Amino acid sequence: MSDALRDTRRGELRFQALHHAGLANINASFSAGTHVVVGSEYDGTGTLIELAAGLVEPASGRVLLDGVAPWSHARTRKRIASLRASETPLPTRDVAGALGLALRARGEARSALSVLDDAGLSHFAEKRISNLTPREARAVALSLALSQREPALLALHDPLSVVGIVQEDFVLRTLTERSAAGTIVLCTANRLEDAARLGGSTSALSRGNWLEPAYARPPLGSVALRVHTAEPRRLAARLSEAPDISGVEWAGGHELIVRGNELERVAHSLVANARAEAIRITAIKPDAPSLDALAAARAGLAQAYYERARGAETGAKRQA
Amino acid sequence: MNDIRNGVALACERMRGPSAPLALFLSCVALFAIGVLERQSDAVSAPDDALVGAVFGVALPLVAYLVSERACDGMRLDRSVDSLARYGTNRKAALSGVLLVSTLSCALAGALLAVSALLGAHAPHSSTLLADLRASVGIALASGVVYALYFGAASLLGKRGGGRKWALIIDFVLGSGGSALATPWPRGHVRNLLGGQPVVELSQASAWLALALIGVACATLSVARTAE
Repeated sequence: MSDALRDTRRGELRFQALHHAGLANINASFSAGTHVVVGSEYDGTGTLIELAAGLVEPASGRVLLDGVAPWSHARTRKRIASLRASETPLPTRDVAGALGLALRARGEARSALSVLDDAGLSHFAEKRISNLTPREARAVALSLALSQREPALLALHDPLSVVGIVQEDFVLRTLTERSAAGTIVLCTANRLEDAARLGGSTSALSRGNWLEPAYARPPLGSVALRVHTAEPRRLAARLSEAPDISGVEWAGGHELIVRGNELERVAHSLVANARAEAIRITAIKPDAPSLDALAAARAGLAQAYYERARGAETGAKRQA
Repeated sequence: MNDIRNGVALACERMRGPSAPLALFLSCVALFAIGVLERQSDAVSAPDDALVGAVFGVALPLVAYLVSERACDGMRLDRSVDSLARYGTNRKAALSGVLLVSTLSCALAGALLAVSALLGAHAPHSSTLLADLRASVGIALASGVVYALYFGAASLLGKRGGGRKWALIIDFVLGSGGSALATPWPRGHVRNLLGGQPVVELSQASAWLALALIGVACATLSVARTAE
């Protein structure tokens, strides 16, 4: 591959003063690598992905990929693979037909079956489009998006929500490969666990307001594990001194709740400490945060964002 | 060229299914019956009455409207190709493909409708049947093409292509007269070609030209108003 082509692929996705539907004044840019935006469809993640992929025209502001608006530039859209919040397959008789038409539109000669086969979805090939459930339609669309070779942008709405139909390993491995090859991987995640599994830099959308990575990371990075052991007291005492563990809860019984900032470090520290004390762990489960905790985290994020914006405004006034 | 082909493939997939041929067949049967009734009422004026009233006055605009609605999947013409545009297809080219399918479908349907009505309106061994068929089929092909382009351009108005519906109503209301108000709509010119009341005293040659202008203007507008 020539240097010029490589430079073109290693581009930048930029949202400039973007207002559209519920999204309010989004200013952000993404370079090659994985970027996860945490939030629900209600927060505007679905719209954000559609705008990034050039599927809808921004009401005001600009969306630029390598300086070009994908909405009005067909060649730029050809370098984008996307997964929408709700997918409507092309109106053919069966899945293979829809994928075949999409591949032709993308200018690829490969067969629909090979795309489905790579994602472990070959059994969908002859399924009628009208018989696909919404989740299956998204899984097929994800397989098509991940099949694109060397895209400049992968814009995926909640890709891990179709895990179960598509193998998680396949999704994560492909995203890692694309990211390493210089693709901008922009994913949204409705669940904090999914954001952690997708990795990369984390931002958030809260009711259409953009929360930058620095403000999104600390509360969203908090994870908890439920640990079952026959000796909870001894394990809790040991873990309370471990640097990667921020808190241990024991409410009696055989279960401990172990908290930390990063899932991998917490798990590693937990296993290492248990092994050092020869304590047998019978089960480890990730503990999803409650809706109240999530709402509180979001409120904290919004407050932090507000205070930062206010601070910046005050600073600007003082300078003036 | 590949993008136009993709647009054609998309429109063909949307037109697929038994309902469209069945509706066309039933329309042809109905028009044949109307032709027979007209002949029993007045054998001399039956072909003209059936063509001006039932075929070109009602059936063809309605069929063209339904074809356009179906080819665009009930959406605006420009948004109807978004499902292909996301993969990098040029919307203008894909839209041309969709228009190509709808114009061909409307032209073919128009010709079949005209033939059905004439077969009913003429006596089985009528000496004027062939001449009538030749003239009417030509007009039907041209009218079908123009109506398809007209409804395609009209669908660019409104969030969900509601302009198409208004175009049908306006063509019925304003196109029925012979004043200058009827000039921009296909109905008056088609009627002129069939030997009916002309629009602002235009000759039949001018009516052909007017239809061609309407068609070209609609096609140009459709492509120009669509983003790449």
